[in-house]
Amino acid sequence: MSLINLEQVTKSYINGADCVTALQELSLSVDEGTFLGVMGPSGSGKSTLLSVLGCLTSPSSGKVSIDGINVYGLSQEKQADFRREYLGFIFQSHNLIPYLSALENVMLPLAVTKFSSAEKRQRASSMLERVGLPDRMLHLPQQLSGGEQERVAIARSLVNNPPLLLADEPTGSLDSTTSQQIMNLLAELHQGGQTIIMVTHNKENLEWVDRTVYLRDGLIEKDTSDADDSLSQAV
Amino acid sequence: MRLENIVFHNLRRRKGRAIFLTIGLLIGVATVVTLLSLSDALGRHAQNELENFGANIIISPRSDQLALNYGGVQLGGVNLVTSEIDQATLKNIDDIPNRRNIATIGPKVLGAVEVAGQRVMMMGVDPKAEFKLKRWWSIAGRPIESGNELVAGDAVVTSLGLSLGDKLLVNAQEFTLVGMLAKTGSQDDQLLIAPLPAAQALLGKEGQLSMVEVAALCHDCPVEDMVMQLQTALPGTDVQAVQQVVKTRMLALGQLRLFAWGVAVTVVIIGALLVFVTMMGAISERTREIGIFRAIGYRRRHVLHLVLMEATIVSALAGVLGYLTGVIATLTTLPLLDGGKASWQWDPTLAVAAVVAAVFVGLLASLQPALRASRLEPSEALRAL
Repeated sequence: MSLINLEQVTKSYINGADCVTALQELSLSVDEGTFLGVMGPSGSGKSTLLSVLGCLTSPSSGKVSIDGINVYGLSQEKQADFRREYLGFIFQSHNLIPYLSALENVMLPLAVTKFSSAEKRQRASSMLERVGLPDRMLHLPQQLSGGEQERVAIARSLVNNPPLLLADEPTGSLDSTTSQQIMNLLAELHQGGQTIIMVTHNKENLEWVDRTVYLRDGLIEKDTSDADDSLSQAV
Repeated sequence: MRLENIVFHNLRRRKGRAIFLTIGLLIGVATVVTLLSLSDALGRHAQNELENFGANIIISPRSDQLALNYGGVQLGGVNLVTSEIDQATLKNIDDIPNRRNIATIGPKVLGAVEVAGQRVMMMGVDPKAEFKLKRWWSIAGRPIESGNELVAGDAVVTSLGLSLGDKLLVNAQEFTLVGMLAKTGSQDDQLLIAPLPAAQALLGKEGQLSMVEVAALCHDCPVEDMVMQLQTALPGTDVQAVQQVVKTRMLALGQLRLFAWGVAVTVVIIGALLVFVTMMGAISERTREIGIFRAIGYRRRHVLHLVLMEATIVSALAGVLGYLTGVIATLTTLPLLDGGKASWQWDPTLAVAAVVAAVFVGLLASLQPALRASRLEPSEALRAL
């Protein structure tokens, strides 16, 4: 069953006197439980695709549905609620709040929910335990390594149990060993049924995904699911 | 974890900016509190002086004729007083808008009486009011209270050879001398002072008054307004302010108050600008952070809440500390002003107003930065995506 449906999505920016088209009538469906990798050269539209999926940038035209909800038909405030309830973000630069501890950073999405303080704390600490940081809860981000910060970011993205996880270059700033650990963690989440869309430059990361979309100039150049379909038809 | 926790953590982390903002607002609040407290203390002191000075408004029966006396010298045998004030109309004073500014009303009846073959001016007074108005009177014996009692002026005592406790026949009625005025050097020395009802009966002027002296506390009102209000309340009378004294003090106080408010408004505007600029800087500095909040599902009002709560905490702190600083500055400055006679009084309204005004200014100046923060598009704020 499709969790995500993009229909003829175009996104254009005005850059000075130029009109830059980042996505050109792009259509894409992603099933629930998929680990989708998005690759492509710089300027191919990867980040714009993630922004559009993340309800952060409205498309110039086309329709984006997640879990059957036309997300850009929602009001701004409803879109915020949608992000909180349906989406988890993992940013390349972690984007942790520097003056909050790891535990507080993970609790951030819960701060505007009606859970009790005890429940917020319990959820956040169990999520930190899940990503392997049970003994780092009270550390500030600057007291953590890059990999640990990434784990905190992953814990934060998962604390609301979102159906969809969006990761933008999650290993972009990490060494190879730490990158492998993070990818293992994401794979583990995927095996648990989590739908993940990951933008990456690193081909090695594609080992863990079960579908890859290659973008170029705002268009899908190649989608491995099509190849799989061809293969299955041939068989 | 609640939004408040984020605000407190942020303030704690960005101590420098929070302290700078607090001090900026604190100076503003302290300046306003000091100036207003000083002008209030000096005003109250001037008010007390006015009270001690005695009556500053005289109400007399209206006459079309010009007065033919000056400095106590009257042109021979001309009696200009042809009418009296109806005592019953005095209650109209209670209805004037500035009634609270009237401290004392001293009704009087005047008339000539005969004592031991000599004609003497008798003044019937409301004893309580009169002795409050004439604080400089020094009496041997005691003031009159009621009935047929008399206090005699120094010249009358000398002329008639009186002593305390004497029984006097005044227009064939017996009065007891209970007090003797020390020499005042004024017309009061020539008077026999009796309780108002007794004097009215003796003079055949029941329910009538010759004049009324009023002590008005015009600390916060123009004396001209008081005169107009009294004039309207008491038709058929002439109401005159003792202009020189009142006007001079009111002018000085008015200028001081105007100056205080001028500085206060300027300081408040500077304080508001300081908050505005600092908060705008803070928002720019925190753009990415706001982007994160928005990306993880914070509504615009949550962001607005974060910024305004921070402004409220800093402003309230500045308000409290500013008020205390202002009070200390006032206590330090007061002894150096007006001969050190003015005193500070705790004014709860000013204390509350200082904190409320600080929070109001802080919130008002932070509103635009807060709205700007709340309107940030998460993708623009993050740029990472």
